[in-house]
Amino acid sequence: MKISLNWIKSIIERDQCSADPTKIGIDTLVEKIGAQLGAVEEVIDLGKKYEGIVVAKVESCLKHPNADKLNIALIDDGQKIKTVKRDKQGLVQVVHGAKNVIAGQLVAWMPPGATVPSTYDKDPFILEAKELRGVVSHGMIASAKELGLGDDHSGILVIDESAKPGQAFAKVFGLDDYIIDIENKMFTHRPDLFGQLGIARELAGIQNHVFKSPAWYKENPTLSKPNGRAILKLSITNQSPKLVPRFCGVVIKDVKIGESPLWLRTRLAAVGIKSINNIVDITNFLMMETAQPLHAYDYDKLTNGNLGARLAKTGEELTVLGGKKIKLAKEDIVITSGDRVVGLGGVMGGADTEVSNNTTKIVLEVANFDMNSVRKTAMRHGLFTEAASRFTKNQSSKQNLAVLIKAIDEIKKLAGGRQASQIIDKKVSDYDERVIHVNSEFVNSRLGLELSPVTIKSILENVEFSVGISDGNLSIKVPFWRTDIAIAEDIVEEVGRLYGYDHLKLDLPERSLSSPDSNTKLELKQQIRQILSTAGANEVLSYSFVPSSLLEKVGQDPKNSYHIRNALSPQLQYYRQTLGLNLIEKVHPNIKAGYDNFALFEIGKCYFKGELDKEGLPKELERIALVVANKNSSGSSFFEAKKFCDYLLKELGIDSFVYEPVAAAYKPTRATYYEPSRSAHLKISGHMAGWVGEFKPQVNAEFKLPQFCAGFDLHVEELLTNASANIYQPLNRFPSLEQDFCLRSATKYSYAELEDFMRQQLDKLAGLHGINYDIAALDIFQKPADKNLRQTTWRITLWHPDRTLTTEEANKLLDIIAKAAKNKLKAERV
Amino acid sequence: MEYRHPEIANVAKQLKARLKQTQDKKAVLRAPELLALIERIKTLPVGKRATFGKEVNLLKAELEKLVRESLFPKPSTLTPIDVTAPFDTNLSAEDRPKLLPAENGSRHPLMTELELILDIFARMGFTAVESRELDDDWHMFGSLNFPPGHPARDDYDTFVTDEELVAPAHTSTMQNRVLKAGKKQLDQGQPIAVVIPGRTFRNEDVDASHEHTFYQLEGVYVAKGIHAGNLAATIKAWLSNYYGREIEIKIQPFYFPFTEPSFEFAASCPFCDKKGCSVCKHSGWIELGGCGMIHPNVLKEAGIDAVKYSGFAWGFGIDRLVMLKYGIEDIRHFHSGNLKFLRQFT
Repeated sequence: MKISLNWIKSIIERDQCSADPTKIGIDTLVEKIGAQLGAVEEVIDLGKKYEGIVVAKVESCLKHPNADKLNIALIDDGQKIKTVKRDKQGLVQVVHGAKNVIAGQLVAWMPPGATVPSTYDKDPFILEAKELRGVVSHGMIASAKELGLGDDHSGILVIDESAKPGQAFAKVFGLDDYIIDIENKMFTHRPDLFGQLGIARELAGIQNHVFKSPAWYKENPTLSKPNGRAILKLSITNQSPKLVPRFCGVVIKDVKIGESPLWLRTRLAAVGIKSINNIVDITNFLMMETAQPLHAYDYDKLTNGNLGARLAKTGEELTVLGGKKIKLAKEDIVITSGDRVVGLGGVMGGADTEVSNNTTKIVLEVANFDMNSVRKTAMRHGLFTEAASRFTKNQSSKQNLAVLIKAIDEIKKLAGGRQASQIIDKKVSDYDERVIHVNSEFVNSRLGLELSPVTIKSILENVEFSVGISDGNLSIKVPFWRTDIAIAEDIVEEVGRLYGYDHLKLDLPERSLSSPDSNTKLELKQQIRQILSTAGANEVLSYSFVPSSLLEKVGQDPKNSYHIRNALSPQLQYYRQTLGLNLIEKVHPNIKAGYDNFALFEIGKCYFKGELDKEGLPKELERIALVVANKNSSGSSFFEAKKFCDYLLKELGIDSFVYEPVAAAYKPTRATYYEPSRSAHLKISGHMAGWVGEFKPQVNAEFKLPQFCAGFDLHVEELLTNASANIYQPLNRFPSLEQDFCLRSATKYSYAELEDFMRQQLDKLAGLHGINYDIAALDIFQKPADKNLRQTTWRITLWHPDRTLTTEEANKLLDIIAKAAKNKLKAERV
Repeated sequence: MEYRHPEIANVAKQLKARLKQTQDKKAVLRAPELLALIERIKTLPVGKRATFGKEVNLLKAELEKLVRESLFPKPSTLTPIDVTAPFDTNLSAEDRPKLLPAENGSRHPLMTELELILDIFARMGFTAVESRELDDDWHMFGSLNFPPGHPARDDYDTFVTDEELVAPAHTSTMQNRVLKAGKKQLDQGQPIAVVIPGRTFRNEDVDASHEHTFYQLEGVYVAKGIHAGNLAATIKAWLSNYYGREIEIKIQPFYFPFTEPSFEFAASCPFCDKKGCSVCKHSGWIELGGCGMIHPNVLKEAGIDAVKYSGFAWGFGIDRLVMLKYGIEDIRHFHSGNLKFLRQFT
């Protein structure tokens, strides 16, 4: 929302305000706006853009001696510009190509050194004295386009107001202005702040000045009557009263379409609106002032003087202003004339009823449209017009008549014409005046302030609320333009903001000594981060979204992923099903960057379509994945990934887990990148807790992984359920004995089966004698030629808590185990 | 892969067959047939060059992938492993799997910062509840006083799935849940004091200062007699704690449907003490996030009596804090998985 300070001043100058809110200076004002109105995006010193440009009078016109299309003008600038070369009469010579330069005219002269305003923001073009076909031109006479005041570049801009040669152009036309651009987002709920009038009111309010709206801006103005006998027919039919709560119109005839006076063009230009013609400019001017959009139709291009509002029918089309043809949807509100669609309600008018240079009769429409419907229509057709951006803020329908009558007046003044119909006002019903009842104590309790009811009253009345007080109870009449004020909290906001949030007392809430609950899952994840980074792994964060191509590369079906239907980038089409895949993708770039041996891990969420949680929403599958790679190693990388997994589980105090082999033919739907014959399922207390494994050759090739690369995907929930504090064993006071024990067994026994056997035996025998033990694998050996037998060696540590253990005792115990191994496993002690 | 140009299809067939037979797999990539095809591209008329060249490149890429794949031993040819063993058979002690040196390890700076921040809030009395990363429209908007079709929704460029689920654009998506869960506490005279960290998403293009994936922390506090001054004081307290020095805060009006009044908050620049530096762009202030008094409709939606109780909420981005703290120049580093970046952190 662009604010023109000069515009604000012109509203204030109508003597409606107790003091000029702009006089505190631009810097202080901008700071105050930021603190009490909304974030300022940009402040533009418009005067700078027009710096150096002066009003000049054309004294005589000559033909260019060497060029048919060029002319020479001798101009009088009141000898304002000092550095320019003049003739004996003190006139300046300027070459131009315009046809409309006549002696006696006032023009805008851009002397050497001035910047062409239309180029100011992009690629500034600075004028200089320059020879054109043998004649020196000192600067240029400006066209409207060069001044940024319209599209007209067919001729120079002729100044129509009283001005004197040598006056600064910007000063004469109010372009010595500051434009303050406030983020639109700030005003999503403030229909009134999309007009300069609303801003002026607010600028007064935040400085504790009293503001009064102009007399014409009222809810129930006296309707003006048609002038003269020749009355033209006007009918308004509203078939969608729910979506079009009010529709007002009037006919004006004998208007003379032409250029707007320069003051109006400059005013519009200051807030970024292009001048079209006097009628359109007046409607735009009033929209920029009051935030109420209006539209003018050429009466003769309507059917039987009829306007209507309804929803579009399937198949209907409309060519909007500017020539774009759109296919209407049946949810679009359209303006019709007879059977014909002539406008997109609240968004844009149609091209074929546009006011043109030949128009003599017009119909003015001041209507109101449902904000949600306008928003959808604007989005559907990509038409984000000034009108749409205002209607989507829920404009008050109570300002329609005031704006319409004001428009009739302005048109009479600037384009002539007479009112040629009654004002037609189709409205659903008057909504009640809003009165909010709130206690001053409530306001104070929400703000932490101690404002008296009288202070609250005056703060609100500055911006035209009307407040009654009885016993601290306030009854607050909401002004008709404030559709956003509905509840007591809205009053709290209003009072706090206008009073100034810098007055708030910064007290911390009182709290009890009870400690907040801890979040064990979050703490577990923090612990895992610590553990894995201590193991030398690097935590990464990768996107939750993946492209279908990535899923397909590892054989994950995109159908199992939630699909994002509006992603700007094709890289973000699908929610990930696993974390490991994202890590695999990040291995090669790091190898390429010169890292030979590393482990990446991530803790995050993924989803699998169809799996729902208690709320009926997609279940958040929390995972920990790790990938370890070593460019310079060979062999079975599986054990490297397992090493990290073992370490993690040990540090988390989890001991009841097993690695189960996966059948080579197993076809997982998610962990598709693991090679089943070289992977294991991790089971904790019998529950599936994840995969550990090497990757399929195709995956290795696809992602350029080194030969030695493996990883795991684990379930956070399972770790959380089973994590426990470390177990403490009292230190042994007596020396322990270490014995190596080697078994030669059939290869059909897995290592785990052998170790389980050993532990069972040790539990039984050692327990019998009150002996404690420890067992650790030392070596696994198999003769290359021998497919049937394998030797496994353990180091067994034994100790007794109460005495020194003898070697004999230990040997005896191990002999018994060796015997049991022979009997039960047919295994030989070596 | 099907090739439309018969010439290319023919070479593809030949070379794939050769790849199966030959010992020197990589030689296939230097095969004269393939080089001849590449030479052919230059000789073709401009109009045909593009499609032909494209297919040749596809073939080259396919062969490269097949060669890479062939260099990996087929699982069936490898000695089977015993997944229950702690290490592979016949491995000498020094070749056994080892963890990596601890000094190589690192935690992600965003997560480390989050831990630090959560720790401060825990000390201030806040419980942490993690945010969802896929939610429904009702939690993201509806429960937060955004009626369907409300224009304020346009400010949250939200990712939407085919099922009309959303990738939350703010951690406020959890507000209704934490308010509902805390209702009992309120009745027992305890405040609701929760912070909600989480990964959030905006559908926007990525550049050095914009990410579609970022991290937020939301705070919610509800009790009796809570006012806007409490809100400002709480934010000031945590910021002062976080930066280890007295921080001033500035709150400015803003608009969010789920708070009334709504604010943006800025902190006095901790890097220059408001004197003006490059971090605060010489303004002396750093804008950090949004906040406000929780809208009564949001409390009511969670079954909380909005007259008896009031509360405040605030939210801010973690990424920005971390970027400011370390002077990180490009937000894209966070999700790059680049070890050069990651290993600079502990």
